[in-house]
Amino acid sequence: MAQPERRWYTGMLTTEDWWAVWLGVGFFFLSLFTLAGVDLVGWITYPTKWVFSPPPEGKGAIGHAFYALGKKYSVTAKGFYKGLGWWSVIWTYVIFTIATCIGAGAMKWNVKRFFVGWTIIYFLTIACWFIGHHAFIAANKLNMRQYGLNFALSLGGGGSFILALIVGLIIGNFFRGFARFLSEAAKPEWYIKTAIVTLGVKLGYLPIKLAGMSQKLGKEAAGLTFELFVAGAAATIVAYMIFWPGVYIISRKIFNLPRKTAAVLGSGISICGVSAAVATGGAVRAKPVVSIMVSALVVVWAVIELIILPGFYTHVWPTTKDPLVAGAAMGMSVKTDGADAAAGELMDEFMRNKIEVETNGAVKWPAGIITSSAVMTKVWIDMFIGIWAFVLAMVWVYRIERRPGEKVPASEVWHRFPKFVLGYFFCWFFLLALYFGPGQSGAPEAMPFLKSVKAGAVPIEKGMRKLFFMLTFMSLGIITDFKKLREAQFGKMVWVYFVSLFFFIIPVAALIAYLFHHGMQIPNIAGYVKP
Amino acid sequence: MAEEVKQKKEISGTGSLTGEALEAEDVLAGAEEWDPVETKLVLWSFVIAIIALIIGLLVVPTSVFN
Repeated sequence: MAQPERRWYTGMLTTEDWWAVWLGVGFFFLSLFTLAGVDLVGWITYPTKWVFSPPPEGKGAIGHAFYALGKKYSVTAKGFYKGLGWWSVIWTYVIFTIATCIGAGAMKWNVKRFFVGWTIIYFLTIACWFIGHHAFIAANKLNMRQYGLNFALSLGGGGSFILALIVGLIIGNFFRGFARFLSEAAKPEWYIKTAIVTLGVKLGYLPIKLAGMSQKLGKEAAGLTFELFVAGAAATIVAYMIFWPGVYIISRKIFNLPRKTAAVLGSGISICGVSAAVATGGAVRAKPVVSIMVSALVVVWAVIELIILPGFYTHVWPTTKDPLVAGAAMGMSVKTDGADAAAGELMDEFMRNKIEVETNGAVKWPAGIITSSAVMTKVWIDMFIGIWAFVLAMVWVYRIERRPGEKVPASEVWHRFPKFVLGYFFCWFFLLALYFGPGQSGAPEAMPFLKSVKAGAVPIEKGMRKLFFMLTFMSLGIITDFKKLREAQFGKMVWVYFVSLFFFIIPVAALIAYLFHHGMQIPNIAGYVKP
Repeated sequence: MAEEVKQKKEISGTGSLTGEALEAEDVLAGAEEWDPVETKLVLWSFVIAIIALIIGLLVVPTSVFN
């Protein structure tokens, strides 16, 4: 086990783990130039809902289906980025191609093959992102009429993820030669770790975003968001420390799975799905097929949850009596960021519609608070990815894989430590320092400063993060060969996931959400808005 | 051939998600005996959960205790 030739800095320029840090932190630093009045990241592209024939006064022109995020958020170059439109797709391609090719070269991959593969994967991903944002797929019953539709699938951004995965799977399973050709650039692990680093930006940006929301919604909403923040933290710690061992026991004792497989499943089902499965797989040195199987299951089950849970929580339990219990439970139950946010948003709309109808318009809730409660617990859960991967790496190195008489060098812990977590924490704490330091914890006089931080942070936490998630789903599909998964008895894992999710995770999440969120009230804005 | 097998074993031990490292091996079979260290791992998780639950219920202003 000891590998004396390795130094603490070994792999800094040659591993995906470190290159996720360099990419994420590198672009994060570029984003900070907004503080000096220079917006270097506003070009990052982002899709919006579209239709072929938008109604005369509606939304959804196909020409605006992609835009540069600087158009909305830039402080200094809004005009320039407004003009980019679809060209932002090309800007994003060129700049990320340069960055990833440098990484591929440093990791001694075949750069030419990577470049061609990356180009194909990038544009396939953009195509899925585009199609997935057709209003029929992404709109919901509240906003579908703005696009001239009478029915929409209400999948939000989740539809794009599903589509990317399906396209990837079709390539991986029906065009195996093409999949092999793309394999040099189909690197889900690299892409998702980069996305996780940018998730750190999202976390650090959260108080900045809430500072803006608090002013907007007033003192009452500020108190509520703080309460959600605290309650979400407590609920998540409790839930997670129950989820993981519970799923581990189910996997080991009921389904008789090996330790490493049970550990990866435990993290995948309990924490943040794909990211956690990959991080834990790396920490315990599980075989790659395990992380791939769990990741695929996470995506599929998240979609099933997205379809079932918003309606269940709205109409069966806890209904409009406890909307924030429902939101928190959602955040702890749905295992991908995208599906959770989409499910939270869908439920936000269901619940607001329902309370308005039930009270004949006497009660109206502002949009987004139920979604925030779902996202808040999810964000806390995201934080556990790195911490738990580290704890498991320690347990595996020092306890489970330790053989009598064998000495485990302390450096082994460092070598097993998922390095991308460093980038994730770095970005998070850096933004927190800006918020509590020059940002004066969101004081009104510091809002111009925080607005500049926001202008840089949003393209990273929103555009770059979602793009790398999309690339992950596409790549995951490309390298996933169901023939191999079938040989590895994929079906058994489906049952482990089903039993764990529906008979353990969802009920426990609901109970814990109730314990910490029961009775929390959303401000009634009926008196302030037009009927 | 032996070199190829060796190389594949090395890749599969890294937890890395790559197509090359994807073996058709059955990863659901060959469960090890339950080890006391696993009991400790799950018990400690539950203990931390109970402690966090009690502290949380007492401290968090919106909990059912408050």
